[in-house]
Amino acid sequence: MVTKVMQMILSPVLALVVGVFFLGLARKIMARIQWRYGPPLIQPVIDIIRLFYQKSVSHGRMFDLGIILSLAGSIVVVLFLPFGRICPLAGSGGLLVILYVMLFAPLGIALSGGQGANPNISIGISRKLILGLGYEVPLLLVLLAAMTHYKTISIVEMVSVQQNAGWSITSWPLLLSGVSYFLILPAILGIRPFDVSSAPQEISSGPMVEYGGKYLALATIEHALVLFISIALFVNLFLGGAANPIIFFVKMLVVFVLGVCVNAVFPRFRIEQAVKYLWKWPTLLAFVGLVITLAIRS
Amino acid sequence: MDRNQIAKWLEAPAKMANKYSLHAVYFCTGCGIIEVPPVITSRWDAERFGVIPVATPRQANLFLITGYVSVKTLRAIIRTYEQMYEPKYTVGFGSCPINGGMYWDSYNTIKHLDKYIPIDGWIAGCMPRPEAIFIAVTHLWTLIDKDMANGYTRYRESYRFYRRNQEMALGKLEWPPLFATGNKSVIDERQAVRSQQ
Repeated sequence: MVTKVMQMILSPVLALVVGVFFLGLARKIMARIQWRYGPPLIQPVIDIIRLFYQKSVSHGRMFDLGIILSLAGSIVVVLFLPFGRICPLAGSGGLLVILYVMLFAPLGIALSGGQGANPNISIGISRKLILGLGYEVPLLLVLLAAMTHYKTISIVEMVSVQQNAGWSITSWPLLLSGVSYFLILPAILGIRPFDVSSAPQEISSGPMVEYGGKYLALATIEHALVLFISIALFVNLFLGGAANPIIFFVKMLVVFVLGVCVNAVFPRFRIEQAVKYLWKWPTLLAFVGLVITLAIRS
Repeated sequence: MDRNQIAKWLEAPAKMANKYSLHAVYFCTGCGIIEVPPVITSRWDAERFGVIPVATPRQANLFLITGYVSVKTLRAIIRTYEQMYEPKYTVGFGSCPINGGMYWDSYNTIKHLDKYIPIDGWIAGCMPRPEAIFIAVTHLWTLIDKDMANGYTRYRESYRFYRRNQEMALGKLEWPPLFATGNKSVIDERQAVRSQQ
């Protein structure tokens, strides 16, 4: 019981530390790719401290509650995800709950931004939800393939099977699904080429335009958690999870650095190009992967 | 640079964080903005000092007035400045905001910007080199250390003075006062005096 409570407290903190470290690392890697020296690794921490000390103005009750809702949704998803062996809610839920609760993050931001009454926010939110529609289809197909292959919805069992039988991305029924998940990973993270919803030059960073002070700090923390969740899900499903947190972290780091390299070299899609891409190649790969998995399993 | 001294962080975290996380508002006020792209990209890389441009005044705490200020721009500058959250710092870039510069006898240019919004520091020159922005940033650090970058408190304390000057330049302002002025607008006062006469 005590270990369970300890894990419940520890795992969001760990996720937050890893997520904020990734934010700093992303800025550093981006800088080195552009031949700059770049900010220190702790720059996001400095920014968050500064934002918490700054004054801010609320735009209404929903403006406060929406951001808290999205943060809470992200923290709940973290509790369901195994980080190495640390998984506080291992026995319950599984992939289906993760799928449902993952939607809280964009919806919370949308509710909060709706009260901001800035036209840039409406454009940003509509783009964010359209992009969500784009990547949810391949994501559902990918998760369906994984669930069919392992005949379970429990993410912990999938990890333990992979510990004995090898990574699922190396077994070829799930190879196509893994590739498809990696292709939609930038869309889930909202980084280039899919940063249409938070485009700073076009729509003044979209849903974030009215956030300042502690709201922006909470939004940054929420972004760090989303970063952690989507990469940890990939590592758990396709790279075999890990027996201890350090190996898990190294696997996450590899996936993340690959994602940042994609982020650094690609320009931004327009929204209709993004949806066209998402519904073409990743969906096709995921669908073929699902059909093959079904054929092998039945 | 004392960014890595943990003792100072524990002593005054707000001050240190304000120093090393200056987010500049992405607002092109005049010709001086042409010096900013080299500053924020590979050639001079302002991000290593924590200075990055952001797209909206809500997220920013550094306002660079780059170049001459026409009467129309002044309106946008005041609105942008009032939308930023405290603590906020303002730097006038180039000689035009200081005293009009080469537009010293122009009818449509604001000569002394610090009559309208408080300025924490100036960068003189026409144009200043990009390195001058870094010198300004390091000066701003020392000012923040000594609590002398207090433009936003001056704005709150002497808001009546600033609001009066703004109304003199722009006529009646269509947005309400940011702080209580304790009095009606200057134009209302004048009309009241006139109707008495």
